[in-house]
Amino acid sequence: MKKNLKAHCLGSLKIAAACAVALLAQAAHAVTEAELDDAFFPYKKGMPSFPGLKAGMVINKSNVDQFKDILSPAHYKLVKDGWYEIPVAETFDMPLPKPFIDATRQNADKVKLGNTIEGYISGRPFPQQPSASDPHAGEKLAWNFKYGLNWGDGAIVYPFYWQYINANTGNVERTIKFEFHFLNFMHRVSNPPIPNITPNPSAFYRGTYVKVIEPLDLKNTQLLLQAYEDDTKRGEAYLYLGFQRRVRRLATGQTTDSFLGSDLMIEDFEGYNGRVSDYKWKFIETKSVLMPYYKHNLMKKDPVFKDPDGYAFIAATGKGQCMPDITWQLRKVHVLEGRPAEAGHPVSKRLIYLDAQIMTPSISTIYDRKGDIWKAFTIGKAHPDFHLPVNKGSGIPLDDSGSMVDLQANHCTMIRFRGEIDPAKNPATLFQVQNLRGGD
Amino acid sequence: MAVPALAQDLPAMGESTSPWKVDVFYENDTRFRGKDNTGNRVGLSKFRNTLQVEADKNLSDGWAFHGILRGTYDGVYQLNQDEYGKSAGGAVNLENSGGQMVGIPFLRSPTSVPYGQAPVNNASIKLLGGPLAGNAFGFNSTVPGTVANPSTGQGAVPLPYSPNQGLRLLFDRWGTNPNGVQVAVPVRPCDKDSRGCADFGGYGDLKQSELEAPEFNSRLDFIREAYVKKLFNLDDGKQVFVKVGKQQVVWGRTDLFRVLDVINPMDYSRGNIYDEMQDIRIPMWILQAEYRMGASDSFQDRNVSVVWNFDQFRPNNLGQCGQPNVIIDAGCTFRAFKTLWDYGGTVGNFANLALPPPTPGLTSGAGNGAFLATDFGPHQIGIRNVDLPDWKFNNTQLGLKWEGVTANGFSFSVNGLTYRSQMPSLHMINTGVTNMFTGAIQNTTDLIAFDLVYPRVNLLGGSADFQIPDANLAVRLEAAYTSGEEFTNTARRDGYSRNHVFRSVIGLDRPTIIPWINEAEATLISGQLFYQHIFDHEEYAGAYGQYGMVDWKDNVTGTLLMRASLMNARLNPQVIFARDFKSHAFAMAPSVSYRYSDNLQFSIGANYKFRSSQERWHYDDQRAANPFAPFTQYPGQGASPGSAGLSGLVPLGGFRAGPIGAAWKEDEIQFTMKYKF
Repeated sequence: MKKNLKAHCLGSLKIAAACAVALLAQAAHAVTEAELDDAFFPYKKGMPSFPGLKAGMVINKSNVDQFKDILSPAHYKLVKDGWYEIPVAETFDMPLPKPFIDATRQNADKVKLGNTIEGYISGRPFPQQPSASDPHAGEKLAWNFKYGLNWGDGAIVYPFYWQYINANTGNVERTIKFEFHFLNFMHRVSNPPIPNITPNPSAFYRGTYVKVIEPLDLKNTQLLLQAYEDDTKRGEAYLYLGFQRRVRRLATGQTTDSFLGSDLMIEDFEGYNGRVSDYKWKFIETKSVLMPYYKHNLMKKDPVFKDPDGYAFIAATGKGQCMPDITWQLRKVHVLEGRPAEAGHPVSKRLIYLDAQIMTPSISTIYDRKGDIWKAFTIGKAHPDFHLPVNKGSGIPLDDSGSMVDLQANHCTMIRFRGEIDPAKNPATLFQVQNLRGGD
Repeated sequence: MAVPALAQDLPAMGESTSPWKVDVFYENDTRFRGKDNTGNRVGLSKFRNTLQVEADKNLSDGWAFHGILRGTYDGVYQLNQDEYGKSAGGAVNLENSGGQMVGIPFLRSPTSVPYGQAPVNNASIKLLGGPLAGNAFGFNSTVPGTVANPSTGQGAVPLPYSPNQGLRLLFDRWGTNPNGVQVAVPVRPCDKDSRGCADFGGYGDLKQSELEAPEFNSRLDFIREAYVKKLFNLDDGKQVFVKVGKQQVVWGRTDLFRVLDVINPMDYSRGNIYDEMQDIRIPMWILQAEYRMGASDSFQDRNVSVVWNFDQFRPNNLGQCGQPNVIIDAGCTFRAFKTLWDYGGTVGNFANLALPPPTPGLTSGAGNGAFLATDFGPHQIGIRNVDLPDWKFNNTQLGLKWEGVTANGFSFSVNGLTYRSQMPSLHMINTGVTNMFTGAIQNTTDLIAFDLVYPRVNLLGGSADFQIPDANLAVRLEAAYTSGEEFTNTARRDGYSRNHVFRSVIGLDRPTIIPWINEAEATLISGQLFYQHIFDHEEYAGAYGQYGMVDWKDNVTGTLLMRASLMNARLNPQVIFARDFKSHAFAMAPSVSYRYSDNLQFSIGANYKFRSSQERWHYDDQRAANPFAPFTQYPGQGASPGSAGLSGLVPLGGFRAGPIGAAWKEDEIQFTMKYKF
C-alpha cells in the first residue's frame, strides 16, 4: 500500500501536495491526550443532536425522510417501507475499559501501515480521527475495528437464539439455539495472560467457537474459526457435524456462504468478520447517526425466550417480528465503505457504520452484486453496567440483539444474545480442533 | 426443544441439577424398485419406520451421558411378501446346457431342469459303474421329513429335505450366467425357510420379525449409543478426555467409502452404501482416552488417543439373502453355499461329464463347452462352519492415533489399529472331505467347500487435511496399509491368500457460487478418488481363462457430490455420482430434501445404476479346479488339483462387480418423511 502510494505520488506532480499530507498521515507519531479524548470520549463536550430529533419520539415512514441523513440507506428503507419504527432515546456515554485506552496511549505511536499493519501491540491502532484527506483513512478504520474490543479478550454467548423468519408471513421457519465463544489469542488487555496466549505457533489472533444446541438436525454441529494475525493469510475453519461425527475442514471461501441457512454469512459475524485485505476500504465521513445502543434492563423482553435464572431476551417487533424491540440513540459515527477485492464475491459493497467511541459496526447496509441494497444488519449494543452482574464494570459494550434483514427476499434472521464477559468460560482449549472431536 | 414429559420420567443419575435433554423423532422411509434383471417388477423395497430417542444429561463430577435409542420396523416383509417375505422366491430351473448333447441316454435331459432333478445324481452316476457305483451325488428335494430320497440309493439314511420352493437363482436380480454355474438360494426369512441360515455375525439367521425390527436382538442394537464422557484438566494446562460406552469412533475423513474409518463395522443391509455412515455404523462398546497436549512451539494442536474396542467381535452386516439390500450379493452367496453344505443341492451347468469340453483359449461361457446340472449331496461343497471370534481379551481390538495441526494449518493424524477383519474370508476345507464320485472320505485341495473366518488385520495409516485458499479448496487425504487381510484366490490350494493392501483417498471440497442455482448460497462440490492396491496380487492364465485373485490388483472408485442450498437451506437438491472404474459400474443418486420446519422434513430421491458389460465381472468359477482327478480332470489338466480358469458370473462375480455393479437393476425411488416430536 505504502509502496503504491509513493509510486502514485512520484508520478503526478499535480497532486504532490495532497500526497505529502497523506504520507505524513501514515507516519506514526505519539498520540496526544486530545486525540485520545476525541477517540474514546467523544461526548465529553456534549451529546450530538439533529434537527427535529428528540428522545422519546418515534421515527416511522411518515417522518423518516426528515431523518434520512442519520440512518443507513438500508435502515432508511426499512422504515420507509414500513418494516420498522425506530424509538429514539437519549444518548449516553459508554467508555471502553481503561486498560484498552492505556494500551492505546502506550502503543499507538509504534503502529504504521505497511503491506498490512506493522508494530501493533494492543489498544486502538489508529486513534486519530479519520481524515478525508488521508487515502488510508478507510483502511485504518478497518484495522481499528479488527483490533477493537468486540467481546473484549473473550466472551461466551449462550444461549444465542437465531430465528429464520419469512417476513411476509411472519412464519418462523427455523429456531437455532447456539453457544458462541470468542477469544483473543493476541493483543489482550484485560484478562491474563496479557498480551498474548502462548504457545501460539500459528500466530492466531482470534478464535471463534460455535456449537449448535438445537434443533435436532443441527444439534452438536460445531464450528471453529481461527483468524491469523497475518492478515494476508486466510483463516482456518473446521466444522464438526454432529450427525457425521467427524470434523470437516472447510475451505474458508465458505465464509461468504449462508451460515447454516441463515441470512448471515460467516463474513457478516460481528458486523464484518473477514480479513482487512479482503476489501478495499474507503472512509466516507464522520457524522451523527442513529445507532441501536441501549440499556438491556430498560428494554421490552420477549415472552418466549427466557432463562431459568430470570434473564430475559430482547423482544422482537416490526414486519415479521424481524427487528429487535429496542431504543436507538444518536451517536458519533464513522461511515466506512468496503468493496470486496475479489470478483465473484456475493457482496458488491458494504456501508459500515462504526461507532466512533466503541469502534464496532452496529449497523451496516449490504449491497448485492448488481449494486442494489440487499440486506440491513443491526446489532443492538447494550451497556454492560445494565446487564448481567458478570458484565458489570467490564467496560465491554455487549452485542445483545440484532437482525439481518434480506430486503429483497423479504426474509430475516432475528438474533437474541445472552453475552457474558467471563474468562473462565473461554479457556483456550475450547478453541483447539481436538475439542470438536470430543462432541457427541 | 426438550420433551419435558418424557424427561421427567428418567432416572436422576447423579446429583447434577442439569435436567435430561431428550429429543424424539419418527422417520418413514419408503422405497420402490422397478423390474429386476429377470423382468420381475419388485415394487415396494422399503417401508421403514424409525423411532429414535436421543438423551443427554450432565452427571455429577463433570461426567456427561449421551444415549441414542433406535427402533425400526420395516413393513416391507409383510407388504411385499412375494419379494421379501414368506412367499418370496419359488421353484427354480437351472440351466443344463449339455442336456441334449450328451450321448449317454440316461444322462440326456432338458436344457433346463428343476432344482433337485439334475441329470447328474446318485442314480445316474451309479449306472456308470466302477468306483462311481458308490457315489454320493444327490439330495432330498422330493419328500419332506426324514425319509430318504429314493434316487440317492442311500437306503434308509435320512437326508435333509430341500424342496424346490422359496428359491431364486444366485445373482439373478442383476446378472445372467449362460453356460456358467447356477446355484439356487433360499430367500425367505429364516423362520419361514431355515435353509442356508447361519449366523455370519449378526445376520444370516434372522427371522422375519428380526428383519422387520433388526435392532431388537441379543446385542441390544436398539442402544445405538450409550456412553459417558469427561474432560480432566491437568495442572500443566493439558487435558485428558475419556469417553466409554457404546459408541461410534470415526477416524476417517471420507464419505461413502472407508479407508481409515474401520473401527466400527457397518450395517450395509439398511441401504447398501447409500445411507449416511452414522446411521449404518454398528456402535461398539469402546473406551476412548485422549491426552490433549494443546499447542507447542511447533504444533498448534497435539493429542494422542487410545481406542480399545472391548466389545465382542462383529463383522459388517452384508445383508441376509432375501433382504432388499445384500451388498455385493455376499449374503446370498453365503446362504446358497451354506444350503449346499447342509442339504446338498443342484448346481446348474456344472459337470462336463461325457460332453465336449470347452475349447482352451476361448472365452468361457455360452458356446464354449457344455455342462450338466449336478445334484450334490450334503456335506460335500459349500460353507461348513462360520468361525466367529468369541469374546476374549486377545480378540479385542486396539487403536492408537497421534494427531496434530502444524503451525501453518496442516492437520494430520498417524493411526495404528489391530483389529479383526470386518469382511469374511473363505478357507477351503482340505481334509476329511467327501469325494462325491466315490463316496470316500479323503484329503484334497481346491474343493469348493469352506469354513468362513474373520482374520486379524493390522493397519498403519494416516490422514491429513488442509486448504488451498487460492482455489477455495479443502483437501482431504487418507492412506492405510494393512497386513493380514485375506482374499479369495483360486490359485491357492486353500482358496485364499493373505495380502498386504494399500488404500488411499483424496477428497476435494469446493463451495462454489453457481449464480443460476443461487447467487447467495454456495453449492458444495465434493469429489473423492479412492485407490486400492493389493500387493503380491496373483492372477494366471489358465487353459480356459484367468484364475487367481478375484479382487482387482488396482482399482479406483470415484465419487462426486453436488449439493445446492436454496430457500435459506430449507430446500437442498443434491446429486451423488459414484463410479467403480474397474468394474465399469456407475451410480447416480439425485435427491431433494425440503425442511418445512424445525420439526418436519421431507425428501424424495432416486438411485440409478449403470454398467458397461457383465462379462467384466466373470471370473474363475472353479468348475475346472479338479479336486478329484480323474473324475474332475479337463483335457490338458494333470492329476493334481488346480484351476484351469473356467469362468462365469457365479459365484465370484459379486466381488468383481462391487457394491455398485452388484446392485444393478436395483434402481429405486424413495420418499422420506421425518418428524421431530
